[in-house]
Amino acid sequence: MYAHIHSATLLGAQGHPLVVEAHIGKGIPGFTIVGLPDESCRESRDRVRAALLSSDLPWPNKRVTINLVGFGERKGGAALDLAIAIALLVAQELLPQSAVNECAFIGELGLDGSLRHTMGVAPLVMSVASREVVVAQADAEEAALIQPHILRAVPTLREVVECVLGNMSWPDVPTGVLQFPVRAIADMSDVRGQSFARRALEVAAAGHHHMLMVGSPGSGKSMLAKRLPGLLPALSHHEALQAAIVRSAAGVGHDDLVSDVPPFRAPHHSVSMVAMVGGGSAHMRPGEISLASGGVLFLDEMGEFAPSVLDALRQPLEDGVIRLSRARGSVEMPARFILIGASNPCPCGEVNPRLCTCSPHMIQRYVRRFSGPLLDRFDIRIMMNRPSAEDLVDEQPAEPSAAMAQRVSHARDVALARQGCLNADIPSEILDEVAPLSEGARDCLHHALSRATLSGRGYHRVRRVARTIADLKGAPEAVSIEYVELALQLRHDVMAKTVAV
Amino acid sequence: MQNSRIDLPMWAHAAALAALPLQTHTRLRRLLAHTDAQSAWDAVQRGTYVDERLPQRVRTAWREADKDLPQRMYIQCDEHGIDVVTHSDAEYPRVFSGDPSAPAVLFYKGSLTHLEQRRVAIIGTRHATRRGRHFASQLAAQLSDHGVAVVSGLARGIDVAAHVGLREHAGGAVSPIAVVASGIDVIYPREHAAIWRWVSDVGLVMSEAPPGTRPEAHLFPLRNRILACISEVVVVVESGVAGGSMITVREAEKRGRTVMAVPGAPGDEASVGTNALLRDGCAPVTDASDVLIELSIDHRNELSFSDVRELPTEEEQRVLLALQDGAATIEILTFRLAADVVMVALCLGRLEHKGWVAHERGWWEALTGSHTYSAPGRSIPHTIS
Repeated sequence: MYAHIHSATLLGAQGHPLVVEAHIGKGIPGFTIVGLPDESCRESRDRVRAALLSSDLPWPNKRVTINLVGFGERKGGAALDLAIAIALLVAQELLPQSAVNECAFIGELGLDGSLRHTMGVAPLVMSVASREVVVAQADAEEAALIQPHILRAVPTLREVVECVLGNMSWPDVPTGVLQFPVRAIADMSDVRGQSFARRALEVAAAGHHHMLMVGSPGSGKSMLAKRLPGLLPALSHHEALQAAIVRSAAGVGHDDLVSDVPPFRAPHHSVSMVAMVGGGSAHMRPGEISLASGGVLFLDEMGEFAPSVLDALRQPLEDGVIRLSRARGSVEMPARFILIGASNPCPCGEVNPRLCTCSPHMIQRYVRRFSGPLLDRFDIRIMMNRPSAEDLVDEQPAEPSAAMAQRVSHARDVALARQGCLNADIPSEILDEVAPLSEGARDCLHHALSRATLSGRGYHRVRRVARTIADLKGAPEAVSIEYVELALQLRHDVMAKTVAV
Repeated sequence: MQNSRIDLPMWAHAAALAALPLQTHTRLRRLLAHTDAQSAWDAVQRGTYVDERLPQRVRTAWREADKDLPQRMYIQCDEHGIDVVTHSDAEYPRVFSGDPSAPAVLFYKGSLTHLEQRRVAIIGTRHATRRGRHFASQLAAQLSDHGVAVVSGLARGIDVAAHVGLREHAGGAVSPIAVVASGIDVIYPREHAAIWRWVSDVGLVMSEAPPGTRPEAHLFPLRNRILACISEVVVVVESGVAGGSMITVREAEKRGRTVMAVPGAPGDEASVGTNALLRDGCAPVTDASDVLIELSIDHRNELSFSDVRELPTEEEQRVLLALQDGAATIEILTFRLAADVVMVALCLGRLEHKGWVAHERGWWEALTGSHTYSAPGRSIPHTIS
């Protein structure tokens, strides 16, 4: 009359183990789920009932109570279907409790008794403590990433029952070796002209610096941004797994869950706050910033994003994680990405001030959309023009991604060996130690500060970028004047008002 | 009621006449031609003012005008520190004497004595290049060194650049003069508030529009006529073929004022108007001495103004020369010079630091001392001689 089955539920990008208790007793026939289920979880009743009946398994016409124990938050999603169905069978004494004690069940049921793909299988499997995990056949590969002790992947509920009873042997499952499919990424050699922007992108990749590109439509802003993942070093086994877990929890990219290519996310500017930072339903789906973690978040037409959405990026940009706090508690998800922003310089989009038809007032209004604190977070800010005719007909192929990636990877290694973090993350206290300035470089920076072309906050950022440029050049000692000068050139006041006074 | 109006000074009535609905400078001149402002105001109010050229609707509108207009004008002028002068006053500027379209009533802030200085107008397009603005600033500063006052309209572009150059130049002993189209309390464009206040504090801002007048389009050509009238020489720095600067030029020519133009590169859109003026026989201005000669100010021993900018290195010279062909981006320069992009970026940074180039939204322009077009290969003049 009583059963308890191990399973797990999803919150943010993390699974949490819990126990599904079932009790069948006398009373008016009915079915109740207690223990903070949300609406989607309560719908389980109808799916489980239909699945049991379709599989020729009995549905108890008695007073049934399901209790979800062991995790204090609200539970959502359909991943508990299988555990509830098994709990009912055990409580009806059709399955022995002893056969399922060491086993966790994760999966959504179809009305025909089949086991369906479940969102977030990877983090769910990761969280359970049991030796054995049963998931849907469709989720076998995803679950195998986690390499649980014993993985069982079964196509239907009926087969789960037969296998537990020992009437059938468990089907074979794929071995849990992480394999990276070879994926073609767009190459930098396709980019014509834009020699300066290419350098800027290389510096951004090497130092993990956020970059803002302001330029006319058609100048190749998104083209460049899309090629950034190809300049970054391939993800390690651990990083790829982390990325796969977040993707699994968000329910995106089921087919290409695992990849060693750094993720690239380019949400449309109509994106909502929840879609950007995560949250929403009871299980707090990871947002775009978490999906971009370890890779690139590209915001095209940055001025068109809701200001509140842009401002919400500020905390994750500083901390590398997003903390979503709700009344019942908070969830932390990874959010460490390179932010690439792109924008037109003004409503008409013409960079050349002589051809721009906007009035100073219009430009001012446009520029005001970018809050100062957010602009400050871009270490690299460049203007981009449409490639000229000479660039387009230039027969010489541009440098391919591979050559640039090699320099980037070398510069990253140098930085990590020196201070244990990438250059964008150098704490300002140790800047003097890891990025000392030469005499001339110090004068140059002080001059820029005194002319008010550089803010106090910008000072440290320029020094970090200069360190990265020096690392790319293979100059490990003090940062000399050319590097500082170039870093200053990479930090144009792109949103400068064009008013002369 | 009658008493309170008698207490108001004469100028309040003059201001009220200027502020009448449908008022024009011609009508105002005729109104005040033979009588003082207060009698004219009373005649207008009673409907006894006779002017057969005045349409009926204007006469009606004037008669129905607010009785307290002089009172209001008095308060408004008082509040903003605006002074009023009429053509019959002793202090009425002599520059207007004999001018058939001189303003009968003038509103001003500052001192009219500034009009006793030598006066050169520096005018030009609102859509000026960095180069043009730089030239205007420099010219204004150099002229002020020789005791010449700079007259301008405080509009965007060249106009304001001339006055900003004056403000930034510490040595100048003369005062700026501005003629504006709106009421003196209505600052337009708004971003010029600081320079507007500066000019009225140390120099003179004048307008024929009563306080509170909005900057309407038809007022600008009228302003340009006053600007041309009070200047001895009008220098056009940059201008398109049509536009406000050309109206000023025509007004100046009507009054026999000298018009001079700054040559620009052929095909440069901002210099089409000035180049056309040169073709039509205007004298060119390549630096301040051209204007000084025109004003017959002996300048031979007084040229104290030299370029204090640090000389560009050989590498930077090349980049500067490549910019002589017009504004360019880093990529275009890299292509023109067939050089490394980083080298070009560094040179531009250093040139900007030294003051030889400026950029707007990634488009770089050379700020050479003279505004002339130098063919590739010619060296950059680094001192004004």
